[in-house]
Amino acid sequence: MHKEIQIKRYLPEEHAEPFWQTFRVPYDETTSVLGALNYIKEELDSTVSFRWSCRMAICGSCGYMVNGIPKLGCKDFVRNYPAALRIEPLAHFTVERDLMVAMDEFLQHLEAVKPYLIAEPSEPHKPHRQTPAQLAKYKQFANCINCGLCYAACPQFGLNPEFVGPGAIALAHRYNLDSRDQGKAKRMPVLNTHDGVWSCTFVGFCSDVCPKGVDPAAAVNQGKVESAKSMLIQMFRGGA
Amino acid sequence: MQQFEVLVVGGGGAGLRAAIAAAETAPEGRIALLSKVYPMRSHTVAAEGGAAAVTRADDSYAAHFADTVAGGDWLAEQGVVDYFVKQAYQELVQMEHWGCPWSRQANGDVQVRRFGGMKTERTWFAADKTGFHMLHTLFQTSLKHSNIQRFDEFFVVDLLVNDGEINGVLALEISTGELHAIQAKTVIMATGGAGRVFRFNTNGGIVTGDGMAMAYRHGVALRDMEFVQYHPTGLPGSGILITEASRGEGGVLVNKDGYRYLQDYGLGPETPLGKPENKYMELGPRDKLSQAFWQEQQRGRTGNYNGSDVVYLDLRHLGKDYLYERLPFICDLAKSYVNIDPVTQLIPIRPAVHYTMGGIETNAQTATSIRGLYAVGECASVGLHGANRLGSNSLTELLVFGRLAGEEAMRHARTSAPEMDQTKSAQTLRQWQQKLQTLTASKASGVTWVQLKRELVQTMEDGCGIYRTESGLQASLAKVRQLKQQYQQVQVGDTSRAYNTDLLQCLELEFCLDVAEAIVLASLERRESRGAHQRLDEGMTARNDQDFLRHSQVFFQSQADATLTWQAVDTSLSTPGERAYGAQGQQSEAR
Amino acid sequence: MAYKPNLQRTWWLQHRFFRAYMLREATVLPLVFLLCSLLAGVYSLTSADAFIAWQGFMAKPWVIVIHTLALLASFYHALTFFQLFPRVMPIRLGDKSVPAVVMIAAQWSGTLTVIALFLWLFGGGL
Repeated sequence: MHKEIQIKRYLPEEHAEPFWQTFRVPYDETTSVLGALNYIKEELDSTVSFRWSCRMAICGSCGYMVNGIPKLGCKDFVRNYPAALRIEPLAHFTVERDLMVAMDEFLQHLEAVKPYLIAEPSEPHKPHRQTPAQLAKYKQFANCINCGLCYAACPQFGLNPEFVGPGAIALAHRYNLDSRDQGKAKRMPVLNTHDGVWSCTFVGFCSDVCPKGVDPAAAVNQGKVESAKSMLIQMFRGGA
Repeated sequence: MQQFEVLVVGGGGAGLRAAIAAAETAPEGRIALLSKVYPMRSHTVAAEGGAAAVTRADDSYAAHFADTVAGGDWLAEQGVVDYFVKQAYQELVQMEHWGCPWSRQANGDVQVRRFGGMKTERTWFAADKTGFHMLHTLFQTSLKHSNIQRFDEFFVVDLLVNDGEINGVLALEISTGELHAIQAKTVIMATGGAGRVFRFNTNGGIVTGDGMAMAYRHGVALRDMEFVQYHPTGLPGSGILITEASRGEGGVLVNKDGYRYLQDYGLGPETPLGKPENKYMELGPRDKLSQAFWQEQQRGRTGNYNGSDVVYLDLRHLGKDYLYERLPFICDLAKSYVNIDPVTQLIPIRPAVHYTMGGIETNAQTATSIRGLYAVGECASVGLHGANRLGSNSLTELLVFGRLAGEEAMRHARTSAPEMDQTKSAQTLRQWQQKLQTLTASKASGVTWVQLKRELVQTMEDGCGIYRTESGLQASLAKVRQLKQQYQQVQVGDTSRAYNTDLLQCLELEFCLDVAEAIVLASLERRESRGAHQRLDEGMTARNDQDFLRHSQVFFQSQADATLTWQAVDTSLSTPGERAYGAQGQQSEAR
Repeated sequence: MAYKPNLQRTWWLQHRFFRAYMLREATVLPLVFLLCSLLAGVYSLTSADAFIAWQGFMAKPWVIVIHTLALLASFYHALTFFQLFPRVMPIRLGDKSVPAVVMIAAQWSGTLTVIALFLWLFGGGL
């Protein structure tokens, strides 16, 4: 079986503009989109550039747009597409070459929300206690693999690159919900702004494309409730 | 570019832990973290099962020590193991304090699970994505330290060494194609393993032995390279890892007749379904289980999945709720990659190369033979695993020795003032610029890395697999050396500078070739069977302490074949005994 | 060197998911019309003539069409809102989280109860 695969190429050292290139690739039931790309690189055109590593949907390297939808190349299969495949770099990011986008744009947002446990030192030689119920409260949001698919799905991020975005907010929320954490007050100022949770209009597509079931849209909108609360508290404190 | 006190190469678990330790040791210290991928892409992310530390009241350091030393068939450095088991718990607690979402018991205490070759439940876990959660916890924690300067997607190609002392590294900035000589008083290699030297493996595409080869080319020994761990449960075709925890939680292995074949290979008697027992049957060590697969294959008792010989992992009796709580990732992987629902179906599996026990030789403090150069994690051979690693020891290793390396390197940087030879650095830089220019000079017409890589991984699989023979190893060694010759003519098709992944993979292959030569040479010279290294030749099928209770050390020779020497093993705490599991193990323990 | 495609005005036509989202957002339009009609009704209470004129306006077929649309739109909006609610306000009872299906069902039964109550109070003539 063969399939036509179109790739949106960008070779800034040779062409000023991106262009489409078509390849014919053999496939079977198990061929992933990433597998097809690797076939192209090894057999047809070694200049095609893309990121990948674990090929088991946990490292988060291989996010691309496949027929207009953000996908992990290793967890999306050629068999799913009866017609041709069109592979593009992740939407809403700056493209630096072929399928390579500037992931720093995501990392800056991630760093801004202080995504780490902020807590007074407890007993240094003993773990905290945390019941399975307390763990369950945030566990889903801790499953984010930083692949960036949710950013490529989010039109608000597309319109406003300053929007902190679904993935980073999900991780901020993950720490806010952690029973061991005391850093919420430090994270909320970032989330309270227009570029924080309030840029979100609950399109919800971010959660649809998330390969790990994180549901970042839920995190952002739970964040709105928290943000409203924290702003009210601030208002009253400020007034008093 | 500025000069760093500690420069870490590799952003996986070991590298991040080292960088954080260095930053904590000297809050104003200058630390660089270079990684060829964004740190959260590092292969630590794919570890599933857990991290070991003595935790329960009925457990002891002595027991963890004994399991590790026997598991490594007495080729572990016993002083190192002793230090490791004593530091392990505190490091896991530290991870907890940094927010790692460890799975919990009902009362809120950390939960521990069974693991192969471990006498007692002592493996901490975060569902079946322990490595993922540890890596992200470490990466996110590292963001707290503003003195850790990250260089993401900087591909280190060489070390700057001056008169036996480290001066820094040479790195290729992937986004621009520019080479940088980055000066540092100390360098910590944390570059991971070399599983991609083999065709069928559980490793990510980035696991290509880069750091091992770099240190090796500068004269540091690669130690115990013949010990390559086959994980017994990889998915057929892809090699994707199905965690040992699935057996720790009670999964069983059956052959095509539905028979639990492990009882035929010194691991029995059969334990009842749903009642796994430590060190019996499916909870034997990885080397024994992978070897049992090979034996079943020889007897024609394996099944077939898309052209691969397989046995089956049965998880059905665990029930849907338990599987989704404890092994959600496994359920997802099985569904996506072999279209199997473990709740109702058997998962086809076969052994796949998983881990390199050997690596850059270091002393117990992670220092190498080059002053100021340290190595930690899978790329290093600190002597913890001996001839076979026990599952869940390596995630803890990243932490225990990552911290130690970070502290040691920072201390060394602050007490020594290495002679920085700018001319020599500039010279190395020029050589590499020349080399890269030659590689990318013209659109390839000759040999490509793709061809060579295919031949390399095939010959490693053929000659250096679960069971090895003299003739097979001879053939592989000749082949690897021939490929090294051919590499001299290699050309890269992509002539551009920015994001030239074609060039990167070509350079990775060169690292692979050097590491492969060391693996095959050490395998050939070790004419006995021990742990993960099994020989079929006459007189070599058993362990031979008389001649081979020694580490192998392979040394690089430029323009010539690598050479091998032997090094004594530290057996000061436990004299080599019989390594047995199942009922036999119980008996020999009683004696 | 790099490029970044701008999001076009027609981004929401790209696929089904975005169109459904825009439809959800568009439900506000007939509802705004209904609201204005009701406000006008309240305002018209000041004089009998005005009220009769308002009644005439409310009986016009195109107004009825828009108000029917508003009813459908509010149901569609409720449908999407009820589906999203459990994700924004997850409820946990002890160790277990309340399943989304239960929460959605509870919201619909609440809605139906209110409708039934209104029919009973004011719908005698129906």
